[in-house]
Amino acid sequence: MLRRIGAFLFGDSARAFGTLAAVLLVCLAITPAKDHFREWHRYQKKYLGLIRTRGDAATLQRRFQDGLQQTWIPELGVVDRCTTCHVAMKEISLQDVATQPFRPHPSIPHTLTEFGCAMCHRGQGAATGVQEAHSSTLAWEQPVLAARYVESGCGQCHSNALTGTPQLNLGRKMLARYGCVSCHAIREPGQGRMQSTNPAPPLTRISAKTSREWIFAWLKDPQAYAQTATMPNFQLSDDDARDISAFLMNQSAAPPAAASPAPAAAADPQAGASVYGESFCASCHATVNAAGLVVGGNIGPELTRIGSKVKPDWLMEWLSSPKKYDPHTLMPRYRFEQKQLDLLAGFLQAKTDSDLLAKVQLQPASAGQIAHGKILVKERGCASCHEINGVAKPESFAPDLTMIGSQSLAKIVFAEGVAHTLPDYLQAKIRNPHSFGKATKMPQYTFPASQVDALVTALLAQTERAQALPASLRVAGKRESDYHPAGKAGQLIADMNCFSCHAINGRGGDMAPELTWEGSSVQRKWLVSFLKNPNTLRPALIRRMPRFNVTNAEAETLADYIMTVYQTPSFDGGELDAAKFGPDEVEHGRQLFYSKYACQSCHIVDSKSDKGYIGPTLTHVGARLSAEWIVQWLKNPQSLRPGTIEPNRNMSDEDARALTAYLMKQNREVAGK
Amino acid sequence: MTDEKKFVTGLDSDSRRTPLRLAFVTRRTSPQVKVTDDPVVMTYPEGILRAVVAVQSLAIALVVISLIWDAPLEELADPMHTPNPAKAPWYFLGLQELLHYFPPVVAGVIIPGLVVAALIVIPYFNINIEAEGIWLKNRQRRLRIFGAVVVIFSAVMLLFQVYAVLMPTLTIAAFMLAAARSAPDSPVRFRRWLVSKPVAYWVMTWFLVQASVLTIIGTFFRGPGWSWIWPWRS
Amino acid sequence: MAKTLEGYISELQGTRVWRSVFRGGAGANNLRRSLAVQQNVFLHLASVKISRRSLSFRATWFLGTLSLGTFLILAITGILLMLYYHPSVPQAYADMKDLQFVVSAGVFLRNLHRWSAHAMVFLVFAHMFKVFYRGAYRSPREFNWVIGVVLLILTLLLSYTGYLLPWDQLAFWAITVGANLMSSVPVLGQKFRFLMLGGNTVNANALLRFYVLHCVILPLTAAVFLAIHFWRIRKDGGLYTGQGDSK
Repeated sequence: MLRRIGAFLFGDSARAFGTLAAVLLVCLAITPAKDHFREWHRYQKKYLGLIRTRGDAATLQRRFQDGLQQTWIPELGVVDRCTTCHVAMKEISLQDVATQPFRPHPSIPHTLTEFGCAMCHRGQGAATGVQEAHSSTLAWEQPVLAARYVESGCGQCHSNALTGTPQLNLGRKMLARYGCVSCHAIREPGQGRMQSTNPAPPLTRISAKTSREWIFAWLKDPQAYAQTATMPNFQLSDDDARDISAFLMNQSAAPPAAASPAPAAAADPQAGASVYGESFCASCHATVNAAGLVVGGNIGPELTRIGSKVKPDWLMEWLSSPKKYDPHTLMPRYRFEQKQLDLLAGFLQAKTDSDLLAKVQLQPASAGQIAHGKILVKERGCASCHEINGVAKPESFAPDLTMIGSQSLAKIVFAEGVAHTLPDYLQAKIRNPHSFGKATKMPQYTFPASQVDALVTALLAQTERAQALPASLRVAGKRESDYHPAGKAGQLIADMNCFSCHAINGRGGDMAPELTWEGSSVQRKWLVSFLKNPNTLRPALIRRMPRFNVTNAEAETLADYIMTVYQTPSFDGGELDAAKFGPDEVEHGRQLFYSKYACQSCHIVDSKSDKGYIGPTLTHVGARLSAEWIVQWLKNPQSLRPGTIEPNRNMSDEDARALTAYLMKQNREVAGK
Repeated sequence: MTDEKKFVTGLDSDSRRTPLRLAFVTRRTSPQVKVTDDPVVMTYPEGILRAVVAVQSLAIALVVISLIWDAPLEELADPMHTPNPAKAPWYFLGLQELLHYFPPVVAGVIIPGLVVAALIVIPYFNINIEAEGIWLKNRQRRLRIFGAVVVIFSAVMLLFQVYAVLMPTLTIAAFMLAAARSAPDSPVRFRRWLVSKPVAYWVMTWFLVQASVLTIIGTFFRGPGWSWIWPWRS
Repeated sequence: MAKTLEGYISELQGTRVWRSVFRGGAGANNLRRSLAVQQNVFLHLASVKISRRSLSFRATWFLGTLSLGTFLILAITGILLMLYYHPSVPQAYADMKDLQFVVSAGVFLRNLHRWSAHAMVFLVFAHMFKVFYRGAYRSPREFNWVIGVVLLILTLLLSYTGYLLPWDQLAFWAITVGANLMSSVPVLGQKFRFLMLGGNTVNANALLRFYVLHCVILPLTAAVFLAIHFWRIRKDGGLYTGQGDSK
């Protein structure tokens, strides 16, 4: 039988020709069949099945386009075919569908076709197969980015802080805050190198400040001294820490002769604590309280064990005039009286930890150790952050991270056990640099997982594509201006380091209200008295403006300057006279305040009945703010202070005027009583 | 030698077709005798069909292979990033393997140049026309020459530590020695076969084995930095 | 059934149209068969009659025929691939992706071209060794052997130039390795390399140069040499039938 079939098919050349021709045709016909059974066909069929039973099936079907779909943006080099399978990207009515690829895209500020998909999500946009599109293949290195890093996509264009990208913003802040940018150059597209926002203290006079033993203990483990310490652990051996401490003491300029006497030995701890509290030191400095919690700000260093660190003479000098030791410090000069100084210094000096230096036994340093210490300081890049005598700040000490987010995996050496993807590499590198070999110079940080994620997100935004994007797409970030107020007031502002907390004309911190238009906002009389004795405006806040013991003349100078210079261009402050408001208007304003706009839910006018603690107290607002400012503020708060949480109620002119009339009254009544 | 005529005699047993005759064949002429009893067929359709059937079979095989295995495609070319190892197409891997042992001028120029030249001149050298077993004439003298060539060549290879060339050479040499020690009328068929092979056959076989071994090593047994790897161990 | 089919075919072959296309027509007699070969521009490279022994599988393993077969497959798939290909950087690579992801049967075309190219190099080498071992290079076929060597080199060049065209890492570095080999030629090496690449490194110029070589110059040259190769088979007395062996 077989033989007969064989003879029929291949009996002679002609039969063999015919048979093989048929076989060849069949084989060739498999190719279009293979095309027909590609994955995306299946998904599109599945989608049609899914929507058939839904209420809006007709609409969905009409909007569905079959066949290959693509977003093609030649100028950006985008060819994304993701929507071939992810067919329901724009169908908000499918919000409840849990199975991919049919879930709609969450709402974003861009249209989905503006930049394509792979720009943010990575993966191989051109691919039409599940494996090729999402995974790392021989022909495509970048797999789809895990959703938790997706904010990095925004960061490619946006150098500014967006409200929708908290993780990216945090990561960028940390890059600048924790010294990353001091060793690594990170350039944002269209902008210069990212600058450190928390410069490390200079070490040029370190021997005046602290002991060699403390330096040793600190070098060995900064977090043992202060758990919030910014400095990472360099994992130095005892010998290396010994030599570095020897060198640092050796390079330090000789301490000046004791300028002020040591504080009274038996300072009253209670009184010292109250000076600490009144001065609102905790706004910037943290301490660990009895419950073991870190309480306080993170602008200055943690003070839990400050007594074990600083020398008494230095502390007195620092408290009375910080800029003498460090001209770039953010710490204001408080103008303490001698008694306050003694109490505060005594209070701080008592914050010791006997365990910290107990085990540190250092022999006097030899010349060899000092020399070796200098070599180590150069090797470890200490001078990238700290100013050190005799060691220049190294240029590009660590690899440039400007385009780390698109780094080719082939150029990366992975440590054992690290998955071969870029985010995993960055995670591992930040979490445990030494897993990449003992020679790694990068120090050990102690960030919680969420902060590492934030850092990785910020680094992933540093792509080659971001650098190459057309300038029209870039959104520049806010850069600190180098605004310097002039004259006597300028000197005062510098002396009290107002910029540490207040921002003016694009320079300064964000802890306290911005003062750029303060002169349009407040009344001069109030300002003078506030500067002399700041009272609280917001009872709910712990951080308040401290008292700087300014003299009358200084307060007048500052107030004059502020009233004259810090004026808004949007209105003229002198137009409205509070005295002209009639009683009808005041009463109408009162009704608006309590009924129509329900301002009492956030603000207090009558301290007996009102319970609003979110906004500032308004009991004395009539003495504090100018009437014109209140009108403008009520009509459009965001135009005067972008980002304020005061809601914009689209008030009519009449309502705003009436409310202002009522609020301006919140002065006389008090004053009258 | 010059005035002495060389005679080559042949005998055709088919007396009906070929009358008994004596033929003079001098040097540098074709020694072939046109045979007339070779049956012929029409090129069309028989020859053409066979060729077409052969090509069809090949096409089917290639189509099936193409349906099953995808051609390799790697990442976009990046001049800044050299893969390790960077390999040439497979048919040049033998040369690349040689490049590992010898200076570029030798491995990249002299050897391939010699190979191409040797291939071109093959039909013009009598040594290639000779169809007699290598050891059937001047055996002692040829053995001496052969021994000297093999020893010198092996010594050079040893000097450069080119075991990938040395081993196949010695293997072929062993077979040649086996052929030299075999009689044309040996009862063992393999020995009779060995002894019948002319020198050209041996040289070409040596070249073929050599090229194959080097290509296979370069393709499968070379890893990062052109270091030796075992393909089944990665 | 079969007979009626044959009847239909001969009827078709008798029509005016058929005869105008195939001058000799085809028929059952040897004259017609001879004419079919003689009157065809491609087939006339072969003789009308062919030795039965040379047709057996043993004689040639059909290696030469198969090499020609791969050449034809490569020509067809190559022309189709040219429809989708731009020899520019980095569009060339994007075209590979398009072939893979959107072009109907694009992957298949590329696979077939790639595997056939490997097969052709292998078959040409095998053909050469087979011819050598059979002694088919001997007089009067010496020159056809030389042509064969030229075709072998052309095959290698075709494969080598084609290797660069996908413009992926594999292509780029294989060509770089090869080009560096060339620069080791004494005196003229660097010049050769510059001429071949159109520059000092493998770049867009090299891609364009290789594209033109691969798609125009080398295939045409190979076709000419192929024609000579086949013509010489006929002129040198047909395929070698191996009677020399019996001596």
